[in-house]
Amino acid sequence: MTGRRRELSTLRTLRQHRWFALLSMTRVVGALLAVALLLVHRVTHDDPLLAVITALWTPISLLALRQTEDAEWAPAVWALDALAALGLVLAGGDWRSPFYVFALTTLILPATALPWRTAVAWGLGFSGLYGVVALLTQKLPVDTLTNTIRLETLATHLFVPVVVTTTLAYSSVLLERLRAARGQSERLALQSERQRIAWELHDSAKQRVHAAHLMVSALDPRGFDHQGHDLLGGALSELRAATADMETSVAELRTPLDGRPVDELLRERAAELTLSGLARIDVLGRLPLLPPLVAAHAYRIAAEALTNAVRHAACTKITVTLGDAPEGARLEIADDGVGMPPGDRPSGHGLRSMHGRAETIGAQLHIGPGPGGRGTSVALALPHPGGTP
Amino acid sequence: MIRLLIVDDHPAMRAGLTAVLRAEPGIIPLATASSELDLEPTLHRTKPDVVLLDYHLPGADGLKLCRRLKREVPAPAVLLYSAYADSSMVVPAILAGADGLLNKSAPAPELYDALRAVARGDRVLPPVPRELMEAAGQAVDSSDLPILAMVVDGTPISEVAEALRIPVRDVSRRLDGMIERLRVEIAAV
Repeated sequence: MTGRRRELSTLRTLRQHRWFALLSMTRVVGALLAVALLLVHRVTHDDPLLAVITALWTPISLLALRQTEDAEWAPAVWALDALAALGLVLAGGDWRSPFYVFALTTLILPATALPWRTAVAWGLGFSGLYGVVALLTQKLPVDTLTNTIRLETLATHLFVPVVVTTTLAYSSVLLERLRAARGQSERLALQSERQRIAWELHDSAKQRVHAAHLMVSALDPRGFDHQGHDLLGGALSELRAATADMETSVAELRTPLDGRPVDELLRERAAELTLSGLARIDVLGRLPLLPPLVAAHAYRIAAEALTNAVRHAACTKITVTLGDAPEGARLEIADDGVGMPPGDRPSGHGLRSMHGRAETIGAQLHIGPGPGGRGTSVALALPHPGGTP
Repeated sequence: MIRLLIVDDHPAMRAGLTAVLRAEPGIIPLATASSELDLEPTLHRTKPDVVLLDYHLPGADGLKLCRRLKREVPAPAVLLYSAYADSSMVVPAILAGADGLLNKSAPAPELYDALRAVARGDRVLPPVPRELMEAAGQAVDSSDLPILAMVVDGTPISEVAEALRIPVRDVSRRLDGMIERLRVEIAAV
């Protein structure tokens, strides 16, 4: 199990840093090639020194490139890396250099990380610089332009960097598009699956619950003794809570909170409702991050309270106060409107579902007159995330 | 004695409604229909006083069927029965000529009362909140506003036509247009 996980995580690292992996592999090969050529053939007077420099520079450069891979100024490091490689070519004294492959590896990161036009320009710039280095080595005799083999060799040396950069830039763009397309199709699949579940919940399960509720509610309570009466009431309230739960799930499946924090969503909703021009809504304070189910119900309760206030309270100002305390998070929606009708208010469907939701997540919901007996206040005390403190 | 036709696409709902309403004195569930196709022959066979109509049916919504039922002579009373707890369907329901609108989560006694009320010719519609009426007014053509106002106020279509001095058929056509615009998208609820 551990071995498998390790293998998988290595693969993941490789996938995430695939271009750096390619750079490491090719650079090591390039360095080995250069060292071998230096030691086997006599290239300069200082072959052993150059070999040692190459052997040291390879890990140092790779380490430096790895460290700065994500930095904003990484292109400066890449440019220095390219200049250093060209410096090695120059030190070799000939543009047909054992360091050629090594120098080509400096193109990998810029080609794959920069926008493709910039990458191609980078490749062209590299070729130009290589031409300058070739001139500086003074190994370009005048007959280069007429000697086919010489000209072909020079052209290849100058052309390969452009081909390498263009190919890598193209692959990088393709990979990026592929990843985006895969992400998109996964999102779409998830969305359609959610729609399907929402539809099934609403179209089938909820209809059955409605039917059950209807049948139970048709029973004449006078035909029951005290205990039967209680059971009947319990069954009805459970069925109502089931409907409220399903409504939450359906709403959550159709417009998921997507793990976004409740206070952010509430601020958005408040801004939307404020736009209707009926009341001003202020959202004060913050909520801690809530578990998904609690978050979904808390948000729907608050959203319902806001809608009620805007629709029915004839208020001008609504204040949403969010708070985090050791005993649990609190959420209060207070308006300065007409308040609730006095006496035993027949609980409307909205209020019923708010209470049902609060019950589901084990929260305390208090709906009553606002501060100073004015308006309405809806206060929700959420349970402590770790249970009762 | 209320002769009732039940239209709902879900078998559990049809069975539940039939069982519950059969036991209620004064109400006779004559038949059930599960779709638009099913409704036509059943309607002509049974000639009910009241149709209990699901708001959402596959292929056709309750509003469209309600309009058609109200064109029958004599037209049955229609109680729209909806699983959505949303007041935004009140205005379209009124325009479609529904005599009542009831949520499926209402307990059975509320359903009996609503059925008896619409059978008597009363309307069982929740009040239309001011902002809903304003929203509806903005969604429809301004030339349709008088029709909207009168119909929501409970004026029969024939009287609306008379008041505006236009044929009844024109009023009907414009009502259809308004319903189309105000239709509550099921997926958006």
